[in-house]
Amino acid sequence: MNLQFIVDGLISGSLIGLGAIGITLTYSILRFSNFAHGDFMAWGAYGTLSVVAAIGALVGTTAPMGALSFGWPLILAAIAGMIMTACLALVLDWLLFARLRDRGQSIIVVMASFGASMALRSLLEFIFTSSPTYFSRGIQMAIPIGFGIRITPDQMVMLATTIILVTAMHLFMQRSQTGREMRAYSQNPSLARVVGIDTARVVRATWIIGAALACAAGVMVGILVQIRPLMGLDLLLPMFAAAILGGIGSVPGAVLGGLIIGLSEAAAVQLIGAEWRAAIAFAILMAVLLVRPTGLFGRAER
Amino acid sequence: MSILDVKCLIAGYEPGLSIVKGASIHADEREIVVILGPNGAGKSSFIKAIAGLVPVTGGQVLLDGHDITYGAAHLRVRQGLAFVPQTDNIFPLMTVEENLRVAGGVLQRGEVQSRIDETYTMFPDLARQRKLAAGSLSGGQRQMLAVGRALIVHPRVLMLDEPSAGLSPKFVELVFARLNEIRRAGLTIVLVEQNARAALAIGDRAYVLVEGREAHEGRAATLWDDPVVAELYLGQRRHA
Ligand SMILES: Nc1ncnc2c1ncn2[C@@H]1O[C@H](COP(=O)(O)OP(=O)(O)OP(=O)(O)O)[C@@H](O)[C@H]1O
Ligand SMILES: [Mg+2]
Repeated sequence: MNLQFIVDGLISGSLIGLGAIGITLTYSILRFSNFAHGDFMAWGAYGTLSVVAAIGALVGTTAPMGALSFGWPLILAAIAGMIMTACLALVLDWLLFARLRDRGQSIIVVMASFGASMALRSLLEFIFTSSPTYFSRGIQMAIPIGFGIRITPDQMVMLATTIILVTAMHLFMQRSQTGREMRAYSQNPSLARVVGIDTARVVRATWIIGAALACAAGVMVGILVQIRPLMGLDLLLPMFAAAILGGIGSVPGAVLGGLIIGLSEAAAVQLIGAEWRAAIAFAILMAVLLVRPTGLFGRAER
Repeated sequence: MSILDVKCLIAGYEPGLSIVKGASIHADEREIVVILGPNGAGKSSFIKAIAGLVPVTGGQVLLDGHDITYGAAHLRVRQGLAFVPQTDNIFPLMTVEENLRVAGGVLQRGEVQSRIDETYTMFPDLARQRKLAAGSLSGGQRQMLAVGRALIVHPRVLMLDEPSAGLSPKFVELVFARLNEIRRAGLTIVLVEQNARAALAIGDRAYVLVEGREAHEGRAATLWDDPVVAELYLGQRRHA
């Protein structure tokens, strides 16, 4: 048996998990399913691509770092992209979601996010066309690491980056005052106000974190696969599955959910056939929810 | 001058439907003021409106002379007004310590730990259960946590909505004894209670709230024997 699916599954799973963090936070804190989250990924990737191009125009071509396919401009651009995506989310909230949220019907906000998703996607297709593009067109050599498994330097760096981002995120939610305030607000918004928490600040922090991580995931997909306006939409259902599987509101849960979904999809492709990919992920989701309706790390209130 | 002065407050959850209909109370420094009234009189709505949680459409809330009527709810603890709601007054999925720490956000960073230790000295039960999820505490311990959390910012006025609800008589006694100590330490307390006798025993003055308006005011010690109050209170209850 070829064990390559483990690396493939871990990679796609960690990208799904990174995206799912934003979904799980929006769901537990702002209390709606944000269907535009996948489009934050795509916007983040295209925003980063634009900054890379701008840096290229200013300083000329730069050599890639070591064995990687990209150089320092991409790292700088990704940080700029995260800031831009966070601003996009904040503007969208101010224009659309905040007004609807105040009226208190979550289904209307969900529908609005559907609309926002389509508009964001069309805008990308209009600006960048729908044909795929790449951060780098170079082909990377995959390094054998035993058991018939091969991994590219890019993939290794992306896995490491994911681990760092997720650990940082978890520590932030558990240890920082803003993280505590976000958790408090998700459990009881009005009590949060009673204890002096500025709820507008919590909402802003949620958007900034969710959008920045979506951008990071989008850039990684761009590096490892390709950049397309539809790239986020394709990951939307796996990301929701990961968030629900892990337990709504749980950052480690979202990541673990992402890894389970990614690994089982990759295993299904290799062992059963590519057409079973989505079905397997959802079969696992259903099975877990039957045993644990709140997801792996989810806790029922009281 | 009163530290808390509420004048003719009008408030409600939906536009055009007032629940609090022109209620006035005031509390002086180091006073325990008790608010009594039949079920559904609007006691919780009144105290929530003072805390900034129910939309106010008229009247005034003055805290130490400053008008805070329409200020954001989250600013009130900074201004010295703390509130313990009647129900859902802890964050059940956070630990006891996190419940205290999250309320320390309005303090200087260096102060938080000493205030938490102070709370543990006051409520040793909480110290023992600091790492436990607050949702797994008993009713009495939850109430202590909610009170401890409100006190962590050293407020000047503490408002409590039925802190004795659902507690065994032993715990009721304990909670009220603590409130009396807190008052002696210099706080002003506004206490909404169903448990009228226990509340009046530690209270200085009391109001009876009926249909969103204060219908009677008097000294706590003599209020219960006032025939007017018996009429108001019991008369309402009989109809309810
Ligand atoms: N969140 C809410 N939304 C709409 N109406 C409410 C809400 N909370 C309370 N009410 C209404 O306000 C009125 C007064 O309720 P409130 O809880 O203030 O009374 P109370 O005096 O505290 O009663 P109790 O002694 O039972 O605690 C009731 O008619 C109730 O239906
Ligand atoms: Mg009440």
